[in-house]
Order: sequence, then structure tokens, then C-alpha cells
Amino acid sequence: MKKWMTVLTALSLTFSLAACSTKTGEDQTAESKKPETTTAPAASTAATKAPVEITFWGDWGGEGEKQFVMMADAFNKSQDKIKVKYVLQEDMITKFLTAATSGGSPDIMFWDRWRTSLYASKNVLHPIDDYLKKDNINRGDYYDEALKELSSGGKLYGLPLTVDARALFYNKKLFAEKGLTPPKTWDDLQNAAKQLTVWEGDKLIRSGMSMQDNGLFNMWLQQAGGSMLTSDLKKTNFNNEQGKQVLDFWDKLINKDKVYKVGFEKGLGEGTDAFVTGKVAMTYTGPWMLSTYKKYGKDLDFGVVPPPTGPGGAKGSVMGGFGLVIPAGSKHKDEAWEFEKWWLANKDNTLLWAKTSLNLPGFKPALQDPFFKDDPNWKPFMDTLEFAKIRPQHPGYSVMEGDGLMPNIELFIQGKQDAATTLKKGQEQGDKLLDQNAAGK
Amino acid sequence: MGYLFITPTILLFIIFTIIPVIMAFYLSFTNYDIVSKNDFVGLDNYKRLVEDNIFWTTLKNVLFYSVLYIPLNIAISLSMALLFMRSRFGVKLFRTAGYLPTLTSGVAAATVWIWLLNPEFGIVNDILSKFGITGPSWLAEMPYAMLSIVFVTLWQSVGANMIIYLAGLNGVPDHLYESAKLDGANAWQSFRYITWPVLRPTTFFVSTMAIIGALQLFDQAFVLTKGGPANSTKTTVYHIYQQGFNQLQMGYADAMAFALSIIILVFSLINMRLNKEESVI
Repeated sequence: MKKWMTVLTALSLTFSLAACSTKTGEDQTAESKKPETTTAPAASTAATKAPVEITFWGDWGGEGEKQFVMMADAFNKSQDKIKVKYVLQEDMITKFLTAATSGGSPDIMFWDRWRTSLYASKNVLHPIDDYLKKDNINRGDYYDEALKELSSGGKLYGLPLTVDARALFYNKKLFAEKGLTPPKTWDDLQNAAKQLTVWEGDKLIRSGMSMQDNGLFNMWLQQAGGSMLTSDLKKTNFNNEQGKQVLDFWDKLINKDKVYKVGFEKGLGEGTDAFVTGKVAMTYTGPWMLSTYKKYGKDLDFGVVPPPTGPGGAKGSVMGGFGLVIPAGSKHKDEAWEFEKWWLANKDNTLLWAKTSLNLPGFKPALQDPFFKDDPNWKPFMDTLEFAKIRPQHPGYSVMEGDGLMPNIELFIQGKQDAATTLKKGQEQGDKLLDQNAAGK
Repeated sequence: MGYLFITPTILLFIIFTIIPVIMAFYLSFTNYDIVSKNDFVGLDNYKRLVEDNIFWTTLKNVLFYSVLYIPLNIAISLSMALLFMRSRFGVKLFRTAGYLPTLTSGVAAATVWIWLLNPEFGIVNDILSKFGITGPSWLAEMPYAMLSIVFVTLWQSVGANMIIYLAGLNGVPDHLYESAKLDGANAWQSFRYITWPVLRPTTFFVSTMAIIGALQLFDQAFVLTKGGPANSTKTTVYHIYQQGFNQLQMGYADAMAFALSIIILVFSLINMRLNKEESVI
């Protein structure tokens, strides 16, 4: 593990080296391209310039890569001025950071939206507000929350490619056996989970409700009518009655009703997924699992409903998803925008990718397509998206959640700390982390 | 002439080791974030380090890990070496089997272990249940998560140390054992007064490497538990990685890296000292 030390330090050196080497590399390609452009018009007499080649970075390989390449090809065929090339970058963010400072930046990038507040404040992304105005793109065609997640400091940095939110998946067969209907409230959820759980001695055979992801606290808190951060996004806001309601309810489910066992699903891969094998009767997950679960056909008869409401009747889910952004270091920003616009502000093109990759498109008109609107599995997600909220936009939010709140919640769930202490400590540590990781620090 | 031959190596060493270390030391006094900032902030990063609870938690975790891992590593690899030293039937097979885990990639091995350690479907708890024991959620419950990491890293590293000990054992002169036998020494005595002292340089090497390895633990904690539950398996290198690459606070990460390297230096020196003192006896 000595490597880490060296990586950390060597990185800095690499920048300076890369800065020189990439520049010369580009000069060379520019020079080698010149003869082509000068000979081409002579040969064809017409003013056909060689297309501008732009680089599109993404970190989806396998099927995802094929789908991205398909879009790039479709775009390349649709016109002859710009040529998009997809480049798979396994460790995209780290590579992007080095590229951002050395000049080897891609022209357009597949982007997990929640990162925007951390990276946009470092001026590595190019705002697209002017393009939007110029091309008359209607902001109303996109979910407000998704656009908000792609914005920072009042500027918009990209258009949404996908939208997602968690909803409740339930096993229809198991529900029918007990004569249960899909839960609408926390009470329904608790009741169903209790009835569906099966223990054999001290061995959990079937869990009524998957409680593996403490990261969903945010979603449960919304259902209780609370929010993770104060409205000015400066401090945590869960050390209150709402936060306590969530913890008490979790405590009931996990420790009193024993509908789950900590670590129950750890290490189960796709084929052994506890929901697929019927070892979990209900689970919160996103639309990305639909295609996986559908593969099991009749062996897994499942339904999806929007998340049940909390004691006060509040609805809550967390919206996430991807977008396309143009890095500040791009040398062909206009061309990159042409590609982004073609893909994300056009119903046919949006649908083409959405249907192939089975993702909910971020462009609302495309969601009106029967493929999404009339499908009983997509519908609950679209209903959920109506009230789902993005993660709070603070560069330190994920650290606050991961290092400040989660460790305390884990102590609580394992019975090593009471609810009041958990929330108080979560608040203290969380506020400190928010402050330390705020932009400009 | 000799200098000419070592020039390429020395140059590479200077460019890729010495200069980066100096740069990193400088960066630990800045608010470097890779892309936009690089201002000198004096001792701010080091001040923050002192107040960073998570940093201290990670050090505690690593200490707990080391206290278990280092002695067990030495004990197990030495016993394996003693067992597989003499050429008996099938001994080569056992040596190979002992060394095999070392060849697998840390991440791949950890991924498989997650599966084996699942509380309800994993083979480990399956075996335990045959003896009427209900195994815990190894990777998700508090003391067990770290114990699991100790176990998995041991499983992976004792093979390599066994080889080193085997080499060391081959270097013990036979005549010492013979004369000990003539003096009526039993097996334990000849181990205590011949094997163990002669193996001291080997043990020194193995223990130093184990200390450094323990303080730099990352892969297994990253894959097996993601530092959880409740940060109980978060290691210092993991914390450095998070602050540097996820939060873009390279300057602060650098300061932590330096603190860690000083800690490694201190423990290595202590280890050196302990070995010296023993050799005087």
C-alpha cells in the first residue's frame, strides 16, 4: 500500500509533466491534420471541411458503452460537421481532474449530477445558460430539481440525461399469500413487513423489508416531514422531532419487530440478490433495477409503488440521475453543445437512448411516450419524481452524511447508542464536516 | 564507471520519489485542490488534523488492527514454515496451498470473502451452525468487522512470510542442532535458543514489513466494509484517499499522509530498537 503515498505525491508531478507532453502531442496531431484539410478541398473542390472531432468521456463500460457509442454514431450520421468519439474512462473523475489542469480535457462528459456543487465551484465546468437562451430551450421541459442539481452559484452546467428516485419494490406472490395490499403509509409498511418476515430459531429466513441502506435516512426523513439541511444549506437539520421519528421507526422495524438483520444482504450479487430469491419481500431501490428484475420473468412477480408516507402524511424520495456537462477545458465547446442539444433536447433522440438503456429520460416530453407512461412499472417512478427532492447542494454534503451521520446511525441500530445521542452527535460532527468541506475552504 | 551504471536508476528515483515527496511536503502547507487553488496556508492543515476526530479514530482502528495482526502474522507464518520445512510426502502441495492466497488480488479476494462471510448464506456461518453456533454478521457488526479484516489480511499475507521464514530456516546451521541434541536439549529448547535467535533478522524484516503494511491498510477495509460499521474499520489511508480524491482537499490529505509517514517511521524505529536490544542478550 506504499503506492497510495506515492500516488498522492506523484500526481502533482504528473501534472507538470503532462502539461508539456499533451501540448506537444496536440501540436503534432494538429500539424498532421493540416495536410488533410488542405488537400481535401482541392480534391473534392467543394468546401467540405474535415469534421471537428470531439471527445466524449464516460465511465460506463459493457452494455452502457455500446449504448453511448450508438448515440455518438447516430449523431455523427445526422450531420457532417462534428464527429463524436466515446472514450471509456474507468476512473473518470480522477482522470478528469488531471486533464482539467493539463489541457487534455474531454469536450463533453457523462456526469453524476450530485457532484456538481463540489466541482462547479472549482471552475472546471462550463456554464450553458447562454446556449440555452440562444437555442430557445425550454427549462420547463426538465424537472426543476434535476436542473437545480446541475446548477451552482446561479449558473446551469448541463442538461439532465436521466432521472431516478427510489420507490418501493414488493414481491407480489408473497403479498398475495398473506392477503396484503402494497403499503401506503409507514403503519402499512410495518404491518406488512412484520407479517412477511420468517425466522427459524435465530436464523432469518425471510426479511419483510430490506433495511440495509442507512443512506436512505434522507428519504425517510422527508417522509417524516423533515429535511437534512436547514433551508440556507449551511447546517444540519435532523436533530429534531422528525429525525427522532425516523430512528424510532427504524428501531421498531429492526430491533423490536425484527424484520431485518444487519448484514443480511451483504455480498449477495445479482443472481443471489435477496429480492430476486424472495428472501426479502420489500425493498427500496431505483428504476435501474427494473431491467435486472424483469429478467427473472415469472420467477419474480414484483410490483412497484411510490414510497409510503410518514406519520404526518408527508411524501419523500431522493431524486438522482445523470447529465451531460461540458468541461471548462474543452476546446470545442460549441460543438459539444450541439451534441448535448441533439441528444437531450430532442424527443426522438432522448427516447432512442432511454429505451435502449432502460433509463427514465430527463427530458419531460419524452416521458409522455407510452413506453414509459403506460408501463405499470415505470409509472410509480414517474409519480415519485413529482415530489422527489435532490440531495442538498453543499460540497460537503456527502462527507457529512457518510462520516458524520452514518457512523452514529450504525451505532444506534446496533443498540450501542440511544436516539437522542445519535442525533446530537450526528449534528455536531455533521456541522463540523459541512464547515470544513464548504466551498472556498 | 560504476556511477554511470546507477545513474538511470538514481535519476528515476529522484524524479519519481524524492521530488514528489518534497512537493507533497510543500503541498501539505497549502490548500491545494488539484484544479483551482494552491495558496500557502501555513500550519492550518496540521491544526485541522489535530482536531479531526475521524483521523484519530482511524489511527485507533489501525492500532487495534496492528496489535492483532502483527503477532499473529509472525506466529502463523513461522509455524507454517516450521511445519513445511522438512521434506515429507506432500509437503510441496501444502507449501503451494499456503502461498496461493498471496497470488490473488486483494480486491478480488476481499470480494469473495464478503460472500463467504454473509451471516445467513455464507459458508463460514454455515459451518459454525453445524456446531450449534449462531455466527454474527461478520462484516456489519461492531467488533467482528475488524476481526474479519484481520482474518482476511492474514489469510492473504502469511503465505509470503512463510516463504521468507522457510528461507531463513534453511540458513540455520545444522551443526547447532546436532550439538544441542548432544547436550540433551528438547525440541522447544532448541527452538528457543537456536532457531529463534538465528531467525532474528528474518523476524525483524517480517515484522517491519507487517507494521508498514498494517499502517497502510486500505484495499480490504475499502472493499469488505467501506470503513463501517460506525467508522470502526476506517483506516488512515482510506481517510486520506477520501479527503484527497473525493473532497479535492489534496493539501489536507497531504498533511495527513505526512503525519502517517512519521508514525510509520517512529514504529519502525521502535521495532529496530527492540530487535537491537534483544541481540545484546
